[in-house]
Amino acid sequence: MAAVIDVASARAALVEKLQHALDALEQGDEAGWRRELDAIAAWRTQPMMQGLGRLARELAQTLGELPPTHDGHDLNDACARLDHVVEMTEQASHKTLDLAEQCRGLADQLKAGSLSAEQAQLVDGIRSGLSEMALAQSYQDLTGQIIRRVAGIVRRVHEGFGALGLPPPEKKDNGLAGPAVSGLDKNAYSQDDADDLLSGLGL
Amino acid sequence: MTANKNMRILIVDDFSTMRRIIKNLLNDLGYTNTSEADDGSTAIQALAQGNFDFVVTDWNMPGMTGIDLLKAIRADDRFKSLPVLMVTAEAKREQIIEAAQNGVNGYIIKPFTAQTLEEKLGKIFERLGAAA
Repeated sequence: MAAVIDVASARAALVEKLQHALDALEQGDEAGWRRELDAIAAWRTQPMMQGLGRLARELAQTLGELPPTHDGHDLNDACARLDHVVEMTEQASHKTLDLAEQCRGLADQLKAGSLSAEQAQLVDGIRSGLSEMALAQSYQDLTGQIIRRVAGIVRRVHEGFGALGLPPPEKKDNGLAGPAVSGLDKNAYSQDDADDLLSGLGL
Repeated sequence: MTANKNMRILIVDDFSTMRRIIKNLLNDLGYTNTSEADDGSTAIQALAQGNFDFVVTDWNMPGMTGIDLLKAIRADDRFKSLPVLMVTAEAKREQIIEAAQNGVNGYIIKPFTAQTLEEKLGKIFERLGAAA
């Protein structure tokens, strides 16, 4: 029954608006009939805008369940964090490559000494393992490309929602911060900061 | 062309880790005369300055891409016969065809093994030697 009443009242409201628009048009009141038609258009698109608004918020929550930063742009913040992941893996990969090269140098020194055939074989095994380890660092390039692509998509969707004039997503500022991102988490503590704080607390 | 181990090789990739990995692999194969560039434009600048014998390039790079670098190399009288090996994550059939149509000498899909690199290099030199 309620649904039937809703449909009937919605129809009555539409008839009323159309009637007003028609009256205004007949009286030459351009601003009036435009206002009525705009109201009808807004009424028709409201469910869609609500749906898009919900999508924008869900997207922000999925990608932006991160502590707020100084500029307060959740989605840009999520993308900045993805960029940071690429930098972190790059640094870690270089460190692994440094160590693999060092160890290969050490293996070469070992081989230059007098080794038994069995020992020489073991050193060869270590050397080839180190080469494989270095090659495996190519994951950094591949994952980095994928992350950059996803960040690009997120930025475009975010811009699309912004162009529709959707309200900024609600903030969620509970929960833990996760790894500090330099340049974004301005209040992040270094180990030295933490040590200072702890000793100040008598620990 | 024989596989002259002193040949000058330009490694082009926007990821410094990948440049380093390729450089190390080439060193292991005995090619120690390498330089690096981080996209097509810087590669062109390097090519104009140095006497390079071989180019190893990525495809997807910000700025000038590897395919545009390949086209630029083939369109320039100074470099047009320079061998180009593409090492890229782009694994679509059409892209491999596009690279081939633009005169690439070899195509390696990331991630790759040291053995693949050695094989492709060998194949390129073999073909160039046969053509000479």
